[in-house]
Amino acid sequence: MSGLDELSQLPVPVPPPPSAALEAELATLAPVRTRRPVRQLVVLSAVSLVYAGAIFVALSLRRDLHELPIVPSVCVGLTWVVGFIAPLYLATVPRAGQVIPRWQLAGVASLIGAIGFIVLGLLIHPSGPHSVALEDHVAPGYGCFEFGLATALVPVVIGAMFLRGALPVGSRWVAAALGAGGGSLGGLMLNLHCSVTDGAHVGLMHGGVVAVSALLAAALLPRVTNLR
Amino acid sequence: MAEAKDLMQRYCDGDAGAFRELYAVVAPRLLGYLLKMARERALADDLLQQTFMKIHRARGAYVRGADPLPWIYSIAHRTFIDEARKRKRAVVRVGEVEELPEVPAGLTGESAERRDDGRADPELVTAALDALAALPDQQREAVVLTKLDGKSVAEAAAIAGTTIGAMKVRAHRGYEALRKVLGRPSEPAKKSPGGPS
Repeated sequence: MSGLDELSQLPVPVPPPPSAALEAELATLAPVRTRRPVRQLVVLSAVSLVYAGAIFVALSLRRDLHELPIVPSVCVGLTWVVGFIAPLYLATVPRAGQVIPRWQLAGVASLIGAIGFIVLGLLIHPSGPHSVALEDHVAPGYGCFEFGLATALVPVVIGAMFLRGALPVGSRWVAAALGAGGGSLGGLMLNLHCSVTDGAHVGLMHGGVVAVSALLAAALLPRVTNLR
Repeated sequence: MAEAKDLMQRYCDGDAGAFRELYAVVAPRLLGYLLKMARERALADDLLQQTFMKIHRARGAYVRGADPLPWIYSIAHRTFIDEARKRKRAVVRVGEVEELPEVPAGLTGESAERRDDGRADPELVTAALDALAALPDQQREAVVLTKLDGKSVAEAAAIAGTTIGAMKVRAHRGYEALRKVLGRPSEPAKKSPGGPS
């Protein structure tokens, strides 16, 4: 298409000089501390774990913990840990040589976490015949839900502080990943604290924390993390 | 691009001279992109200034050792999108009056008389600009980035904040629409916007 070829061969335009407002800013230019993604991830993870641990100390371990099979329990715990770390990593650490985090993969990770933990909870936890009546087990689960969301709060808030005004694109997916990561930490704490093993409760309440915190973060955080 | 990377790092260290060098390197290309998107020189200049002000305010978000260009282009993209949305909202308000102006306007509200045609064949450039302006924002940006600015599909997707697949589809649809309007034979397959350019 010669029209487009003509356009592509247009001479590079001469830009105007920087605006007066920008010149005024440059006149008092000071060094800034640039973002260090790996350090941020370490701080984010460490503070979140300390906070979750503090909440956990205030509560208690589930009474039947010693009766649980070790290998499956460890596998479930590791799955929750991966659900915590992986979205946070993708939401904060960009590819080598890039500035913007891997928001697409972060979005995929948040979707997998949000859906996966609900499905896993429903599928792998034995449910008695009574679990058919969901309201009997979902309604008392609000305490778990609030506890899980409270645990998710700190990773989300710290992540938002680290990425404040830093994301020109993909901020909603990054926010969802922060929420999913925080929600997974909440889910892990719930699995260590709550002894209810009913599939509906574990799936919808413990797993649901991941989905709801991801949705809430995606709705609210871009106001903070968007580059305006 | 090592040069832009070094300049950005020195700029973050408080070197105003490095900013001026960075501006000299990046601003012409960025202005070319904004000009093709906005089609009005005054608007493109304004968007360029807004973009650099945003870069300045957000320079703490830069990651040392990273190529700043995709990030800078993304900021320009975001700035253009925000401005286009503002102008679309403004058009809705104008629509409430009884008579609308007869001056043809693009998505960003510029009049046909105010086009920045450059020094190439004016008729061809005008035809191409008209065809580009008729495209939806996303398709126009896909064509501008992959065909006119020489970005790869992956780079264009990262700048526009979309997936590689979506960028390929946008570029293909935009290119096909332009081909129909401009009425010239299609290019060989190797030049299609689906691959790195």
